[in-house]
Amino acid sequence: MQAYFHKVCRHVFQRLRAQVFRMMQTVAIVIPVYNEAKVIGSVIEEVRAHGYEHIVVVDDGSADDSYLIATAHDVLALRLKINRGKGAAVKTGIMAANILGADVVVTMDGDGQHDPADIAPLIAPILEGRMDAVLGSRLLNRETMPFKKKVANSIGNFITWLFYGLLVSDSQSGLRAYSRYAALIIDTKADKYEYDSKVIREIKNNRLRFTEVPVQTRYTEYASTKKTKQGFINGLITLRRMIWKLIA
Amino acid sequence: MHLYQVVMVAISSVMLYLGIKEFANRETGQTLLKLSVRVTVWGGMTLIAIYPDSTLFIARVLGVVDNFNAVVMMGFLLVFMLIFKLLSAIEKVEQNISELTRKEALSEAHERIEQLRQEIKEKKKQREQA
Repeated sequence: MQAYFHKVCRHVFQRLRAQVFRMMQTVAIVIPVYNEAKVIGSVIEEVRAHGYEHIVVVDDGSADDSYLIATAHDVLALRLKINRGKGAAVKTGIMAANILGADVVVTMDGDGQHDPADIAPLIAPILEGRMDAVLGSRLLNRETMPFKKKVANSIGNFITWLFYGLLVSDSQSGLRAYSRYAALIIDTKADKYEYDSKVIREIKNNRLRFTEVPVQTRYTEYASTKKTKQGFINGLITLRRMIWKLIA
Repeated sequence: MHLYQVVMVAISSVMLYLGIKEFANRETGQTLLKLSVRVTVWGGMTLIAIYPDSTLFIARVLGVVDNFNAVVMMGFLLVFMLIFKLLSAIEKVEQNISELTRKEALSEAHERIEQLRQEIKEKKKQREQA
C-alpha cells in the first residue's frame, strides 16, 4: 500500500514538474505532409487541443490542398514547391523551428497515426535536461502493431545497427523529440525515408544523450492504405540509398 | 554484311548526327570536347561494325591479343566508374535541388517566421518576469 502510494506520488510529482518545465520552454511541433488534405486539419486541431501552439507544417510539394488547409489553421505553413521526400520536409521544419527559437522540437507524421497525447512523455526527458533526443518507439508497445510491420521494423533496425552502429527498438518512427542543441547539431543530407536512420547515426556520432519512449500508433485505414508509406518496395529503395551513401 | 553490322551503323549514325546537330546549334553543355568524345566513340563503333577484323589489328598493336579477358575486365571497370560518377553527380544535383527548395520555402515564409519569432520572444520575456 505504502509502495503504491509512493509510486502515485512520484508519478504526480513528475507530471507536475514536466508541466512546469513545459510552461517555461517553447515546444515546436514539426509536421511534414504530402497529400494529406483529408486529415491534416484534424491533426493540427488535435495537436493544438493538447496545448501545443507552435506548429510548423511543411508541405512537401503536395498535389492537393494540404498547404492551403494548413495555412487556414493559423500555423506556420511552409511549402516545398517540388516533392523532395520526408527527410527534406522534416529538415526544413526543424530549421524553421530553430529560427523561431524553440527549446524543444518534436517531429510527427501528418497522416494522423501518431497520438498527440504521446508528446508529453516524449518531451519530458528533454525538458528535465536529462536527454538530447527522445525516440518514440512503436515496438516497445508491440501488441498494437501488425505482424508485417513488426518484421519490416526489425529488418530496418538491424540494417540501421549494421550501418550506423546503434541498436534502437524502432529506427523508422517519425515521432521524435530533440533538444535545441540536438536540433541544431543534427545534420544529414538524406532527403527521403532514410532520414530517420541517418538521424540515429547523427545521435551516435555526436554522442547525444538519447532514450526511447513507448508510443501508440493508430493504424487507421487511411494511414495504412496510403501509397507513399514506407512499404516493402520503398524499404528496398531506402536500403539502396543507404548503401549508396556509404560507398559514394 | 550481317544484320548486327547494319543495326550498329544505323545507331551510330543517328548518335553522330544528333551530336553534331547539338554542337552546331550551340545547345547548352555542348562543348568541342564532348563532340570529340562522341565522334571517337560512335565513329569507332561504326568502323568496327564495318571492319570487324580491325579489332584484331588494334589488339595486336596494343599487345593484348593473349589477354582478352583482362581487356573485358578493364571495360567493365570503366563502365562501373562511369556509372559511379554519373550517380554521384545525380546525387549532388538532388541535394542542391533540395537545398534550393528549402531556402525558397523559408524565404517565402520569412515575414510569418519573423512575426512568430517576436511573439515567442515576448512570451519568453513575460515568463521570465513572472
